[in-house]
This record gives sequence, structure tokens and C-alpha cells, in this order.
Amino acid sequence: MYAALSRASREGVLQGVREVNADPRLDVSFRVIERDPEGRLDRYAPLCREILQVSEARHIFGCITSASRKEVIPELERFDGILWYPVPYEGFEASERVAYMHSCPNQHLLPLLDWALPTLGARTYLVGSNYIWGWEMAQIARERVAAADGQVLGDRYLAIGDTDLDHIIEDIRALKPDFILNSLIGDSSYAFLARLSELKRAPEFAHRLTVLSCNFTECEIGAAGDAAEGLISAGPWFEPDGGTGGSFHEMARQSVHELALLLHGRPGAEGLALAEVLNAAMRAGHAPRLDPAHLHARQPAIIARLESGRFHEIKRLPALRADPYLTHRSQTSHGGSMLKVVS
Amino acid sequence: MTRIRTENLGGAVAWILHRPHPSVQGLIRQLGVIGLEVREAWPELPAEAIGADFIFYDADMGHDEQFPWAPGQSPMPMIALIGSEAPGRLKWAMEMGAHAQILKPMSDKGVYAALLVARSNFDRANASEALIADLQNRLSARQTIVRAVMIFVMKGKTEAEAYDLLRQTAMAWRVTIETAAERLVANHSNERGTDDGRRIDLA
Repeated sequence: MYAALSRASREGVLQGVREVNADPRLDVSFRVIERDPEGRLDRYAPLCREILQVSEARHIFGCITSASRKEVIPELERFDGILWYPVPYEGFEASERVAYMHSCPNQHLLPLLDWALPTLGARTYLVGSNYIWGWEMAQIARERVAAADGQVLGDRYLAIGDTDLDHIIEDIRALKPDFILNSLIGDSSYAFLARLSELKRAPEFAHRLTVLSCNFTECEIGAAGDAAEGLISAGPWFEPDGGTGGSFHEMARQSVHELALLLHGRPGAEGLALAEVLNAAMRAGHAPRLDPAHLHARQPAIIARLESGRFHEIKRLPALRADPYLTHRSQTSHGGSMLKVVS
Repeated sequence: MTRIRTENLGGAVAWILHRPHPSVQGLIRQLGVIGLEVREAWPELPAEAIGADFIFYDADMGHDEQFPWAPGQSPMPMIALIGSEAPGRLKWAMEMGAHAQILKPMSDKGVYAALLVARSNFDRANASEALIADLQNRLSARQTIVRAVMIFVMKGKTEAEAYDLLRQTAMAWRVTIETAAERLVANHSNERGTDDGRRIDLA
């Protein structure tokens, strides 16, 4: 269903572990214990519990979907674990037991829309997988587009793994949006891109049909094939040299390094609360990626277009503090906290 | 103009009325993460809390005198912090005007939902009250119009003529029909004096 993402994420973690274990400057080394929930939602909690109960492991790297993350959080609370979650998500969460190491909407979706609305036009179409990622991305986009006096021509959702796209393609053919925000994941997304590339060849479109995504990375180019050409993606990192892991691989790898740097030189720190470890690191003059207040990483927002199988950067915003509840943005853009905004 | 739905939570002020306790830390942390300014008070809310955007109050040890307003009259959404689910305590928390609740021990969960639910319930309650007040006004205006029409009817007009006369009067006075009816009824009462004894049956 979304195996390419899991594979990139897993390989990123394993590479990070190899690098840390080979680094003589670090006084930490990691031992890997693996469990595979096979993407089945009911397997996440029991396997998370198993890791925390039968091994000494406290730090778990994993989960792709938000649904799976929500499954493991109660286990982390009960058995004192930390989840390192290195993939993009929709925000509106700040668990004390999760290190959010990829980006959230103020670091992906909002910069992407702020670029797209004036550049491509404001007639938009939203499509997504039928779970929290798809729904919330559409919700935020809808409000953003409305605020820019744009129009959401339609929004459609497909069950994860579903590839029955006729009605969506018909919609798009009839409505001719300026751009499509594609929050489908895995096979649904590849099927959608394939159908869309056929549609784009129709004379009435003449290749003018842009697809945007906050979850499509290099790790899916192989699965999506040429159909993905021209797609514009937002993320914290794109492969500079033709690598195929993309930010799913890279953020997983960086997560392991972040943990190693936090634990280095602090014996016993692996048992402490993450916020405590971060604060200690900051007092010692380090600048961790994670914010001790909400455990979300600072990330640059990069917008890139897929051309000839490689992402090419269009725009880059310097590292931004995460704003998981989209509240801080309003303070800066509306003249400080004294001004109350009523909707 | 539509805004990102949470935008008006950024910089909002929340007061927490709870005795100092470690379990409050989770709530303070989460409110800070969401972007609110947090202030604490115990055992009483100061008068300045009237300007707050949200109040979180302890349902376990709370009592009416802690608040600078009457029970159920808070000028902002109120969120009850519930430990004991005993019916007496819950009754008090509801009478105080809980628009939402959070169960203790407070953690990183449920705070954002409570804020949104409380604000929505508060807004809905306000809208309902405004609607009721408006309907009551209109009902009372309707009765006044009927009384004004009856005055003309008693002077020999048909009901249709009476309504037309009332409409013309309102136009001549450049006021609404309701206001014209009010004036006519008031003038009529003055003309007849208070000892008249005759009443217009409104039923």
C-alpha cells in the first residue's frame, strides 16, 4: 500500500545506526530490535508494547500513518517509551512522548500554497487518502485558499490502497483546476498520477495541469514512474545527487543522529524525558533540531519540481520553527498577541 | 474572511483556577504549545480574569465565591477540570457553566479539543440567548401591533383598514410599524386615563 515509504524510512534508520556505531567520537552505540506491523493498524500497539516490555529499548523509530502513531502513543505513555516519527504529518498534536522529526503544515503545506496560489492560480482541487492526513490537509488548504479569495472546486478521498479513480478524473476533466493538491499516499497516488498524465495529454489541457504534494518524495519516483514528472513537492530536504530515499530516508537517518547527539556524554540520559534531555543539551550549548517546548523539529521549507526523475529546487525558506497548532503564525502576521482575531 | 481555524487561539489568554499541583504542569505545557498565554490563580480568580479568553477551573475543590461572576454567567468559555466524578461535584461544575471538560490527571491530551469544544458551545449558547431575546422582542412587538389595530377597529375600521392605517401612520412618522404601534398604544392609554377599566382582549 505504501511500502516504498516504509522501506525508505527503515533504511534511513539503519543507515543512521551504522553511522553512529562507526563514529569513534560518539560514546553511544545502538542495538536494533525490529518488529514489523506490516501496515496493519491493530498490530502497532501490541508490537510497540512488546519492544518496550521485553527489551531495554526506549526509543522507537517508525510509523508512517498518523493512524498508526495514534495507536502507539498510549503504549509509549504506559511503558515509558519515545517514538521518533520521521515523516511529514498534519499537525495538531504535541505528545510529550513523540519526537516529530519531519515537518508539519506551517513547514510544508502553507509555504507550498503561499507559493502556488499567486503563481499557478487560485482554482484548486483537493484529493487525498481517506484518513486523517488527507482530511486535515484538505481542511487547512480549504481555509488557506478561501483566505486568498481562491476557490476549492472539489475535494475527494480514496481509501488507502484504492485505485478506482474514474469519478475524480472526470471531475478534473470537467473543472480544469489551476492546480491539484494530491494528498493520496502509496498505490492510490501512483494510479492517480498515471491517470492524470493521460489526461494531461488531452488537447484541452496541453500539459497545463500541475500536481502539488507534501508527501511525495524521491522514494516513490520508481513506483510512480514517468507519470510523476512535473509534480511539485514541498519538504525539508531533497536528494542532491540522484539518491532515491528522499526526505523519508534522510529524516529517519537524521533522527538517529539527533538521538545520538542528545545521549552522547550524558550517561543515563536514555531513561529521561525527551524535553529534559533537550533542555540539558541546550544548557550545554548545543542546538538540537527538536524544540523542547513541543518536540517538533526546525525545518527549512523547500519547494521543488520533479524534472527528468530529479527534484529541482524552486524556492527555499530557511529553517522554520514548527507551529503544530498553526497559532503562532497569526501572532506574527496580525501585529502581536495583543490583537485578537475574530473570524 | 475565512482563517485557519486555530488562528484566533494564538495569544489568547487562559486562566487556570486550580491549587498548585504537579498535574497542572501538563495542562500549562500544552496550552503554551498551542499558543495561549497562561495565568494561574488560587483560591480566587482576580477581577482581571473577566478579560480572559478561557477559564480552566477545578471541579473538585471549587465553589461559587471563587469567580467574579454569578454561576453560569461567565463572559468566556469555561472548562472544568474533573477528578472526582461524584454527582454532587459534577452538578456544581455544570451549574458553574462548563462548556467543556478535561479529566485529571491532565496530560498532553484533550486540551486542544477542550478549547475548541468549549468555544463552540459558548458561542452556540450566546447565539441561542440572543435569538431568544430577539424572539421575545418580536413577540412583544407583535402583541403591540395587535393592540394598535384593535384601537382602530374600536373606532369603526375594518381589520384590513386598520392594518393599512397603521402602515400609513408608520410611513408618515417615518418609523417602523412596531414603533408606530407602540406610540399609538401609548397615546391611546393616555387619552383614556388609567381608571378606564376597559381592556383590549389580546387573546
